[in-house]
Amino acid sequence: MWQDFNSYLLEYPSLDAAIYYFINLPLVIQIACVFIVIAFLATLFAYGSILVRRFKGGRRDRRMSVIIPRIDTLLTEHIILNEGLSENIPIDQIQLPLEEFRIPLLRSRFGKQMLIDRIVSYKKSFTGSIGALLRQLYLELELDKVSFKKMKSPKWNRKVQGMIELTDMDMSISDVNILPLTNSKNRELRAEARNAYIKLSKNEPFKFFDIVTEPLLMWDQIELFKTITTTEEISIPNFARWVTYSSNKSIVSFCLKLIVHYNQQDAAPAVMRLLENKDHVLRANAINCLGKLRYEEAEDKLVSIYSNQPLNCQIEILKALGRIDTGGHVLFLRQEFLHSSDFDIRKNAAKSLIKTTGVSQDLIRELIDTGTAENKLILKHCMNPLIKF
Amino acid sequence: MDEPLSFWEHIRNIYESTVFIYGMTMLLCYALLAILSFIGIRRAQKRDSYSDYKKLLGSPLAPGISVIAPAFNEGVTIIQNVRSLLTLNYSRFEVIIVNDGSTDDTLEKLISEFEMVQVDFAYNEKIKSQPVRRIFKSANLAYDKLVVVDKVNGKSKADASNAGINVSSFPYFLCTDVDCIIEKDTLLKMIQPFMHEEGNRIREVGDPCPECGYIHVVEENRRVIAVGATLRMVNNCEVEEGVITRMRPPRALIPRFQEMEYIRSYVLGKLGWSMINCVPNVSGGLGLFDKEVCIKAGGYDPRSFGEDMDLVTRMCTYMRDNKQKYAVRYIPSTQCWTEGPPNLKIFSRQRTRWGRGLIQIMSIHKKIIFNPKYGRLGMVVFPYNLFFEFLAPIVEITGILYYIYIVVTGQINWHYALILLLFVYLYAVMITTFAILWDQITYRYYKTWREVIGLAMMAFLEPIIYHPLIVFFALRGYYYFITGRKHVWGNMQRQGFGRAKPQAG
Repeated sequence: MWQDFNSYLLEYPSLDAAIYYFINLPLVIQIACVFIVIAFLATLFAYGSILVRRFKGGRRDRRMSVIIPRIDTLLTEHIILNEGLSENIPIDQIQLPLEEFRIPLLRSRFGKQMLIDRIVSYKKSFTGSIGALLRQLYLELELDKVSFKKMKSPKWNRKVQGMIELTDMDMSISDVNILPLTNSKNRELRAEARNAYIKLSKNEPFKFFDIVTEPLLMWDQIELFKTITTTEEISIPNFARWVTYSSNKSIVSFCLKLIVHYNQQDAAPAVMRLLENKDHVLRANAINCLGKLRYEEAEDKLVSIYSNQPLNCQIEILKALGRIDTGGHVLFLRQEFLHSSDFDIRKNAAKSLIKTTGVSQDLIRELIDTGTAENKLILKHCMNPLIKF
Repeated sequence: MDEPLSFWEHIRNIYESTVFIYGMTMLLCYALLAILSFIGIRRAQKRDSYSDYKKLLGSPLAPGISVIAPAFNEGVTIIQNVRSLLTLNYSRFEVIIVNDGSTDDTLEKLISEFEMVQVDFAYNEKIKSQPVRRIFKSANLAYDKLVVVDKVNGKSKADASNAGINVSSFPYFLCTDVDCIIEKDTLLKMIQPFMHEEGNRIREVGDPCPECGYIHVVEENRRVIAVGATLRMVNNCEVEEGVITRMRPPRALIPRFQEMEYIRSYVLGKLGWSMINCVPNVSGGLGLFDKEVCIKAGGYDPRSFGEDMDLVTRMCTYMRDNKQKYAVRYIPSTQCWTEGPPNLKIFSRQRTRWGRGLIQIMSIHKKIIFNPKYGRLGMVVFPYNLFFEFLAPIVEITGILYYIYIVVTGQINWHYALILLLFVYLYAVMITTFAILWDQITYRYYKTWREVIGLAMMAFLEPIIYHPLIVFFALRGYYYFITGRKHVWGNMQRQGFGRAKPQAG
């Protein structure tokens, strides 16, 4: 039977009264009471956290607004405008005023991190002697030790951060330290380790292509592509090696993109062999690669396999014929344009016909005059310089 | 000895217990979502601390994106908005403005401002839409990313979006409203989930095909089919050249409540669902989609009142029907700013339509509910939406009627009733406050702490003022749907964006 709280107060001291009152409540109300307390405390905690975060964030912004201009002034004064650079003194012989950088403002962990971030940021903007002097400063201030320490952290994101700093500052990391990370279970760490390995390894930067078993995701490929194509003094291998031997399809697919980028014509025969591959995505990539390489020997083969291919490969073949542009398969393109029931096939056949230099204006005019209304529109679409796709 | 309970007392006990269990389950779901979204935010923060999204900018491998923005009678703001879309940070994209039969000077302004000329465009109608009259491209190279489609009015954004999808050239499309303000790095950030999970791994199935000689393959990897991001109200923000220069919560009551509701719904709700791949919906205001899957799923349904949720549901069912793994993801950062309904009349129209859309989706896709064939979509997403989104207003209204009944008949125990009300009230306040905290962890939105606390304090008023309105409009939407009342599309008069006016005196 429910009793008012006041009736308990008449019998017991207040704390005991509250306990007895609670014990005698129905279960549903007991649960509600517990949640009331939890919700009240949690709401207070949330308000407190919002205020603390705002306060800390504001303080951090204020500190940054003081530290960053100071660092920028120091870097401009002692690195960018360094007199030794204008006098062509070798970088390792330039005396840097390290004490200027060891001011109390930059001694804290936060200050050191700001300094590293600014040096890395400047290093990305300056190459040559200024870049080398920034690296020298980073070394002489022993900031590399901070970055190496991060690499030993159990937290993966700290490891990644350290690795990026070292990579950006062109610091060498031994293969022993970095190779195991290229196969780490953590995807982010693995991706960054591969990136760093390509950039820093002096011996075989592409070694991990041989051992990697997981797929390279699109984002990994974009990062690697950027690293490979922008790193100076990297010896570019013949990527046909992995196209032929790698069992990892994403590595093969990535190598096809690199083959196109570096225009590795001697890789084309290896790419041709991929036309027999069972994976239609990989076949489409190989056809795309052959087209972009303008590999004339591939034309007949592409036309011969055309009818057995799925739609994505057929479209790639039509595009490739337009790119290779020998004019040897105009009739085939014309036939596909006139007789295919698929819109995309007709559009790509038309595009390649128009691209092919050997095709006379008479043929195009004939196709416009005799074609269906839709085919006429497709041709006009493809001929219009304002329309790219 | 106790007297045996009467029939009505049994019914009453069952009702009370059911509602309590129902309520507790809902509250626990919210708590779970809060935990999941917190994990998601921390994970995103860690990744953002070192990821250099700008690497995509110059990469020839960056996937192309078509930005599709339907416009109907947007003559006042169209030029500024298109300029804003054209300056998004991304290397491979196009902007498709679909003029959906505007009766004002929207099209004329676009043509003259951007030097548009009509082109013979081979339009392939992969998804049905009202006829496209003309397509324009700019004669000025500076605007070569812009395509303008002029079509017959289809009386819905869905129809216009379908025409835009048919014209688009790239494998992904971003669907937005032309009056939304989009952050410059939106494409860079929203394409990330597609690239982090996409791997094109395939598995061979069966014997070699007698026709082509190859063993057919199925895709084995999880394919991200849609990505959403947080939306917020632009009311009272300061905007210059299509960029937010001063962020602040809306001052008017309705948009202010909506801002708070959006933060809770996106940062706490959808991000939490994203962690377990159970996102029910990608907002029509901002969503990045896989075009191939969208087309195969039939595109937007112009007859739907909740076309965004309907599309995501059909894309998910398409993937399940074809035994392909998929994911729908959300990112925590705010990428889009939209103008919220400024008054109760427009707000009621919007929410009634949403209510109508929800019941329509539940009835159209009823085969999915508790159907194990549809995996999480059938066993988590739809049951949750059925019980805690669709049925919630109905349960609430029965609860209110029941309260009135027991008050009138003197059966209420006021003491317990108040404890229960306080419990629900404080819990709701707690969840909203945590949503605002999570949002602040994502980024320190707003300039001052007073603005944040001011917004958080709205949680105390919400259960009394805002929530009853939502329930009422949802029920009205259900009623209109059941009685087959004709829907009238209203046009929200845009207030426009601009710099803060100087204070008089």
